Amino acid sequence: MVARLAETYDYVSALATDSKGFAVRISNSSKSASNRTMTTERGIVFRVSRRGMYSEYAFNDLDPEKEDEAMERLEQALEDQYDLLYSAGVREYETPELDDEPLELFVEKETEILPEDCELETMVNDLVNICEKAKQMDERVVECYTSAQSTHISKMFISRNRFLRQSYVYSEGSVAVVAANEEDNKFAYKAVSGLKGPEIFRDLSSQLEPCIKMADELLSSERIVPGEYEIITDPSVTGLIAHEAFGHGVEMDMFVKERALGKYYIDKRVGSDKVTMHEGALCAENVTSYAFDDEGTLAGDVTEIENGILKTGICDALSAKRLGTVPTGNGKRENYAHKVYTRMTNTIFDSGTDSLEDMISSIKKGYLLEGCESGMEDPKHWGIQCIVSLGREIIDGKLTGKIVSPVIMTGYVPDLLGNISMVSTDREVFGSGGCGKGHKEWVKVADGGPYLKTIGRLG
Amino acid sequence: MNMTDRIIEILKNSGADDYEITINDTKAWEFYFIRHELDQNRVRNTKEISVKVYKKSEDGSSLGFATAVIPPTASDEEIEKTVKDLVFQASLLKNRPFELTGPGESSIETEESDLKEQSYGFIKTMDEIPEDENSYLNSYEIFIERTDRRFINSRGVDISFSYPYSMVEAVVNARNEKEEIELYRLFEMGTLRKEVLNENMTEMEKMGLNRLRAVPTPKTEGYPVLFSTDDARNIYYYFIDNTDAAMVYRKLSSFEIGKSIAEEGTGDKLTLKALGRLEGSSSNFPYDEEGSPVRDMDIITDNVLVNFHGNRMFSQYMGIQDSFSLTNIRAEGGTHSEEELRSGNYIEALEFSDFQVDPITGDIFGEIRLAYVHNADGSGYYVTGGSISGNMKDNLGSMEMSCSLRQYDNMLIPRITKLYKMNIAGVE
Repeated sequence: MVARLAETYDYVSALATDSKGFAVRISNSSKSASNRTMTTERGIVFRVSRRGMYSEYAFNDLDPEKEDEAMERLEQALEDQYDLLYSAGVREYETPELDDEPLELFVEKETEILPEDCELETMVNDLVNICEKAKQMDERVVECYTSAQSTHISKMFISRNRFLRQSYVYSEGSVAVVAANEEDNKFAYKAVSGLKGPEIFRDLSSQLEPCIKMADELLSSERIVPGEYEIITDPSVTGLIAHEAFGHGVEMDMFVKERALGKYYIDKRVGSDKVTMHEGALCAENVTSYAFDDEGTLAGDVTEIENGILKTGICDALSAKRLGTVPTGNGKRENYAHKVYTRMTNTIFDSGTDSLEDMISSIKKGYLLEGCESGMEDPKHWGIQCIVSLGREIIDGKLTGKIVSPVIMTGYVPDLLGNISMVSTDREVFGSGGCGKGHKEWVKVADGGPYLKTIGRLG
Repeated sequence: MNMTDRIIEILKNSGADDYEITINDTKAWEFYFIRHELDQNRVRNTKEISVKVYKKSEDGSSLGFATAVIPPTASDEEIEKTVKDLVFQASLLKNRPFELTGPGESSIETEESDLKEQSYGFIKTMDEIPEDENSYLNSYEIFIERTDRRFINSRGVDISFSYPYSMVEAVVNARNEKEEIELYRLFEMGTLRKEVLNENMTEMEKMGLNRLRAVPTPKTEGYPVLFSTDDARNIYYYFIDNTDAAMVYRKLSSFEIGKSIAEEGTGDKLTLKALGRLEGSSSNFPYDEEGSPVRDMDIITDNVLVNFHGNRMFSQYMGIQDSFSLTNIRAEGGTHSEEELRSGNYIEALEFSDFQVDPITGDIFGEIRLAYVHNADGSGYYVTGGSISGNMKDNLGSMEMSCSLRQYDNMLIPRITKLYKMNIAGVE
């Protein structure tokens, strides 16, 4: 079909997907299983261009015995759209033809167990036991939720000159509890994730105790007095900052639309000299560490910020053509039926030279922020919103034992990054969350880094 | 034999005690614009077949269920293996038993919609939005869908209906000689509602220009907060979630039938209703996802909980046999005019980064992108930065609402909602 379409169109490619998986969700009140995860899919999308105008046709009922019929449907549907666009007087945003350098690739990443071969009975029993134990451990637990999901990604990209295939498995599991006292309900959550098979769930029960401890701390927490504080972010909050600040902030499809300030700050200072940040499927082994992206561009590892200086952004192939640069392997779709956008993979702050103990000792009055809940980007104005599970009060260099929650951290990104004065030696990467573009287009991402000391506005 | 019949045949011979099949056949057209130039056009033709299998324990004391999406290209062998796996998985999962929807057949044609005609209407509407050099559309995406849905279960239900869905994501920029700012909105609806899109887009442009005048948010201790945009929906989702049978059964909600949701206070009394149909909504489904008929139903009347809603499993656990999952909502009960609510000291939240109301904890969060501070002496100014936080539980008794209502897709809610017990973290 690619060859036949190439007779009519200047550029043709197809992305075919067949990703299988499972999701088991067990709580005290309900138990369910499904073969659907965020990334399971089977379908095909054709991308074509003619005279600089790009179009796509996505479908999932290709019968190889009826190729002619599929071709006819595809061509007719696009012709119908071209007729409409012509009659509506629409002008196209002209884009040069995408590169199509010859390349063949087959990557199959090693996994101990495939999701398709996973023995679910033991896992279900383990998750049921976690839920029952949670209520036994603390009578204030009203419901315990557990989940285990694993996906075997299989994708094939074909163009006139490229034939790429990849297969890898990622998994993620979680333990969460809702605990209540007379005044409040509190929600505590711990997760595991990685570029691994269902073997990752063997240790899931070890997350229960820290989860219950967190719920206990949240129930005894106080409201924070809004204000600006010295803060230390744990690796999960560090990851959230990386993601919201200079993840979304340097997605270069936003440069095309003039929707990101980052475009005007290349080679300029955006953080203190302690800030170095990487982005790319190759810079960590986690849930989105693929070999090629959904446009057939090989995975990369981009140094976005080096010692506080913004060096470059991340880019999908079409945006790269429009900006006259090269794609970085960040063209991702929610699934075969969705459009490609520039999206993040692993977004990570580099480690530093400080110890967490020294960082705490250096704070006169502030908070150690732990647990990432959600965030929102604002690349046009460099605002940032991070919802954090809790803050541990630090007075005169010591943790006082007082906990505040919930905490909303807001601010101006260059101030937040510019005030980073200490960076710990360790780092962690987390892949249990999803990321939307605006309020849609959900994809898997991972982020993380070390402990950071900076100044933040908390409410 | 077509695929659905093959799946039914395999299910009947699988050992499953019950099953449900949902088929969504979606045809969609999408158009992406940068300014008013076409970035890409897309066609999406997808068929999703979802199968849910139920298996009772031998003594009938528990019921397990497992779900699978079966691709339309699946072979008989693949379907057989999938169903066999589902039956086994369902046998591992011990839930309290409940009953599926009873027998019934119907085929309903809902709103007519033609992809080409709708697409033309949306493209032209967006093209004709008034703009000038200081306020303009940066980019927008148009999604037009039509889905044919069929739901079948082993208890004799076989229903079919069609529904339209449309969505516009728009970014509006405003600029002066010093800076340029943007506002983001996502509008959902059934078919094109030209006047609604026009009203919202014009409002966005006005807000954009106001944001250019905004100063850093000061300390405004004790000021109540007015919610007058689509973010207010999250306040009403709190009530929707806390009246869901699943939340109540799990003891995550303390709402009880026949009791007030709030202690007696100075605020208005909320009335919340499920609507079977709401003109212009993208959720005018005659049946919910389990084949239960959707209808008008009172949920909260004058602050008193009268009915739970929700899926069959948790509704039956709560002793309700004829409930359903909500599609459209009407919230009312306000006793104030918009002018009354916009008096005295207040801060009106017009744009957040991401406004959230946590249904379990009641926590309220939002970073302010644009708000209007109004002082009792009549002075006022636009602000940006800082955040708003609070908790719904602290506000239940004092919440005030306008009598006038405004529709956001499938929700008809008060035009203004006023919360008194809020914290505002300024940036000065």
